[in-house]
Amino acid sequence: MSDIKRGEAPAVRAGEESGAEKDWAAAKAFYDSLKTKKPRPPKPSTAVTIAVSSRTLFDMVEERRVWEQEGLERYVSYQQEHEEEPLKPGAAFPFVKALMTVNSRLRTLYPDSEELFDIVLMTNNHAQVGVRLINSINHYDLLIERFCMTGGKSPIDYLKAYLTNLYLSKDSDKVQEAIEAGIAAAIMFTPDMETVLSETQLRVAFDGDAVLFSDESEIIVKQHGLDTFFAHERQNENKPLAQGPLKCFLEALGKLQKKFYAKNERLNCPIRTYLVTARSAASSGARVLKTLRSWGLEIDEALFLAGAPKGPLLQKIRPHIFFDDQMFHIQGAKELGTIAAHVPYGIGQKYDKGKLIEQPAKRS
Amino acid sequence: MDPDVQESAETQQSGSALVTAVSCHDIFDLSACQTDSSPLAKGAAFSFINAVQAVNQRLVKHNANEMLRFEVILLGKDCEEQIKSKIFDSAKHYGLKIGKFYFCSRGEFVRTLQANNAKLFLSTDRDDVYGALKAGVPAALLCQQADQQVQEQLKVLFSGDLIGLSEDVIDGLKDFGFSAVQIQNFKAAKGCIQEFAALIGEMRKRFGCKDSPLQTILITVLGSRDVCATALKTLRGWGLDVDEAFCLAGAPRNPILTTIQPHILWDDGLHNMKGVLPLMDMSS
Repeated sequence: MSDIKRGEAPAVRAGEESGAEKDWAAAKAFYDSLKTKKPRPPKPSTAVTIAVSSRTLFDMVEERRVWEQEGLERYVSYQQEHEEEPLKPGAAFPFVKALMTVNSRLRTLYPDSEELFDIVLMTNNHAQVGVRLINSINHYDLLIERFCMTGGKSPIDYLKAYLTNLYLSKDSDKVQEAIEAGIAAAIMFTPDMETVLSETQLRVAFDGDAVLFSDESEIIVKQHGLDTFFAHERQNENKPLAQGPLKCFLEALGKLQKKFYAKNERLNCPIRTYLVTARSAASSGARVLKTLRSWGLEIDEALFLAGAPKGPLLQKIRPHIFFDDQMFHIQGAKELGTIAAHVPYGIGQKYDKGKLIEQPAKRS
Repeated sequence: MDPDVQESAETQQSGSALVTAVSCHDIFDLSACQTDSSPLAKGAAFSFINAVQAVNQRLVKHNANEMLRFEVILLGKDCEEQIKSKIFDSAKHYGLKIGKFYFCSRGEFVRTLQANNAKLFLSTDRDDVYGALKAGVPAALLCQQADQQVQEQLKVLFSGDLIGLSEDVIDGLKDFGFSAVQIQNFKAAKGCIQEFAALIGEMRKRFGCKDSPLQTILITVLGSRDVCATALKTLRGWGLDVDEAFCLAGAPRNPILTTIQPHILWDDGLHNMKGVLPLMDMSS
């Protein structure tokens, strides 16, 4: 098991492992025999597995309306009636295309490596709706060979079975469940305007507290105010923060980046990572950088906003995805055309624009 | 010599029923048999019977004259006389609605299945399953449930790369070291599952998308997404609209199977390519 995967693998006995290796060898041989131009999907235990839901991959707003207004049976028939019509791209589509670009660069440099992105379609949809989804994937020639269509069942156990590194969905309940199960996950939002994104470089932006790091410092801000927060951070500058739900994903990206550096491609690396934090560099930034260093992780650009809105800066960065725990920032990003993904973790969920929400927010 | 047949008062009209033959050894635990009159302990796949009966109950609820129901017949191989009556009595004790009991020797069981127009033979024993498949009898693995709690739904899983492959590609499998006999077996297995798929498909249509006591699932293990898509459409053409579909494209199968927990697993045998093939072991 590579260290790209979280150490949560079920206990495997020696016999089972060699059986699994033989299975993999057979699967490889079978695929190679098909003589197709499509690249073979990587070995799951060493790949960075990204699971996307159907509604994040494609624009299913119209179809969703049919389900909400006319019920499940009608929705399934509607999808079958329109089976040959490809769906339009959704919020995660540019991200998936960027992952494909990275894969093709990796395959050029390391033709025999199984350390690649593996994109899996993980949907609650009925398998009959799946035919339209596969047709749409074919239409755009996306690099998605693996899928789970669970016909209504929760995808969480399948996420674990597929050794998922990151799960993207529009459903906040499922994302919540995934995070609680230790899987990096986020709720994707469609930006209000279109932005032109890089086609040669995958750009991923992360908020700091309660995304890469735990919400321990966030709690201090919310409950005791900024001054206490600054003092606390200065005092604890050399004590690394605990990790947050997206830390492992940053780590997985870092491992792939190092493969490019090893081949002298640092300046031309097709993965770039950004930290976009409300912290200020002077008063609370050091702890963040020291924490990353203690984890052995690099981030390409660390941007300290000292409380300024994130939207305009993100407009300049143009990430394929931006992770943040606070809806306030997600809204701001979305309004200015950034593809934002909400990480429903930590104390930030109980607040709205700095004010404590009286009752726990109803999850839709 | 004709096999022993015992019929209970539960005999249903055969007609268009889905005659499903199950091995006694799977429903009851025949190893620890006491001489007293206590019933046999439940076997590894006992919960399957409950799930099937739940489906039948729902079918009859929708339509009291429903002809397309599961008709379970029990098959016992090489059973001693005292065991036979214990099996009969235990079935009654647990309230199992079993129409017929067949007791025969090991060598006769395939012929017994064929003579009774079994639409499906189920066993936890892989050799039995492949023996039946080779003889053209539709057969599938009866899976042991992780825990014997009552499963809400009867889950029928088709592990069907073969369903998504054309005749030409199946012929081309000889490049993988499969013999001509094995290729024939693959084609026979694919052919004989069609009728069962059509019946299950029709039964499934009696229920809606949600709250169905029967769930049908497709998994492809080695093929690309197009193999899975073709399999989906082929099954649809046969009359079965599966509820769930999984395309593994080389990912390990066991973690997914453990999550799905099917009762019935129809396995085309294709994924057993590592060298030790059950089909290979059954020399004719």
